[in-house]
Amino acid sequence: MSDPREPIIRFDHASFGFPGLIALKDISLAIYEGEFIGIIGPNGSGKTTLCRAVLGLLAPVEGHLHIFDCACNELRCHHRAKIGYLPQKGVVDRNFPVTVLETVMMGRYGALGLFKRPGRKDRDIAQEALAQVGMDSHKDHSLGQLSGGQQQRVFIARALAQQPKVLILDEPTTGLDITAQHNVIELVQQLHDELKLTVLLITHDINMIRSRVDRLVLLKTRLFAAAPPAEVLKPEILHQVYGKDLVITEKDLVIVEDYHHHH
Amino acid sequence: MLDLLAYDFMQRSLLAAAMVGGLCSVIGVFVVLRGLAFVGAGTSHAAFAGVTLGYLMGWPPLLLAIVFGLATVWITGWVEERGRMKLDVSIGILYTTTMALAILFIGLMKSYNAEVYGYLFGSVLSVTPEELSVIGALTVLVLGLLLLFSKELYFIAFDQEMAEASGVPARQIFFLLLTLVALTVVVSLKTVGAILVFAMILIPASTAYQLTHSLATLTLYSATIGIFTSIAGVLISAFWDVPSGPAIVLLATTIFFIAVFFSPKRERRIRLLHSH
Repeated sequence: MSDPREPIIRFDHASFGFPGLIALKDISLAIYEGEFIGIIGPNGSGKTTLCRAVLGLLAPVEGHLHIFDCACNELRCHHRAKIGYLPQKGVVDRNFPVTVLETVMMGRYGALGLFKRPGRKDRDIAQEALAQVGMDSHKDHSLGQLSGGQQQRVFIARALAQQPKVLILDEPTTGLDITAQHNVIELVQQLHDELKLTVLLITHDINMIRSRVDRLVLLKTRLFAAAPPAEVLKPEILHQVYGKDLVITEKDLVIVEDYHHHH
Repeated sequence: MLDLLAYDFMQRSLLAAAMVGGLCSVIGVFVVLRGLAFVGAGTSHAAFAGVTLGYLMGWPPLLLAIVFGLATVWITGWVEERGRMKLDVSIGILYTTTMALAILFIGLMKSYNAEVYGYLFGSVLSVTPEELSVIGALTVLVLGLLLLFSKELYFIAFDQEMAEASGVPARQIFFLLLTLVALTVVVSLKTVGAILVFAMILIPASTAYQLTHSLATLTLYSATIGIFTSIAGVLISAFWDVPSGPAIVLLATTIFFIAVFFSPKRERRIRLLHSH
């Protein structure tokens, strides 16, 4: 894809994993500022690994990864505070004794650096982030008291409190009811539009994001496609990755059977 | 009772108990939230092995306690980070190994040494002025570092990977926490003893956990409970002539069960159960 803009994330023949267990192999991919990217692929295809690499939690074992102007060949990168991250649900202890505002304030800690205490400005940024996700009236509530969808909004607010350039969301709709799923995706779309954020969204629900994303990145250890949805969601491409677990219906809906088995 | 307070030894004991109670209960918040409870137990037994080696060889016991304590937490942290072994397994092995060493060192001593047992069971009423200054200095050091890095410590207790992903040097902060746990254990050895120090780290923080949903309030409640039970425990110990360590710990345990019973979280759980 030729683009006059400089990419903000660039994988250059990059592989990730451990010797003998490569999670992602020979990835070359450029992501541009302001793009909305959906990352799809079967379970274990390396979607989370790709995001962890962008976060600087994994260095490439081969090839190169550039984020902003930083070559991420080692783990101590200073760009992390500029990337907001919503980890997969279940990773976080949701009964932890913490209020909504305290949770969102944590988003300021990386950017503040060591030895500095959060001040009024950080509080204002956190409150604004809560307002952006529509949770400002819950700021003094316990995180554990909220519903799954509300908790996801709070975690998105925490990511926004970092004032990120890139927002990474790892299966943000898993475990939510259909209305909450729709609301979360709608919120992500709105944040992308209003804040001009570059968004990387991992999901199994291709149908929910196909009309919203600029490009779909299709992974199964290797990069199978990175193109607008209409070019990626073709039976011949999808069958290469999902095999017979995938059905494309007459209404052009993609049904990944693998997804249903696991949920 | 007021007569008792006029004695130097009593003033020293109360001061030592208050410092240790405050220190243990504040670090306990991070230990409980980060799920390091068993590390506290393992470290205290390792530190006790250091003390016994010190008495056996005629070396400074507290210094060796620090060395043993730090070695244990660092090895544990390193093993967890590498993902080689679960934390509870590695600390379990170190826990029993250091306890075996302690028993071996005691066995090798030519005569019975009452002071060694003081470190095992705690003897706050016999704290010397020198020991009090060591306790004071280490308390100030550990509390100072906890305060300095409190926001990072809260974050890694909540979610270490998330903290790392957002630019906090999470690994270093985790090792700092382990180091401070080891130092806290050593500071507390003389007061509550190797067996009971673990309780002083766990119980006030777990009690506070029942009572609040806020991190800041949790720390405040835990410190208040820790300091109160330590001072009250020493007074009970002096008054009724019972050992100080058990007096402090049993008082803390009583408050814990009262808190569990009146916990707003418990009421919420019951309401949730009934609503289903």
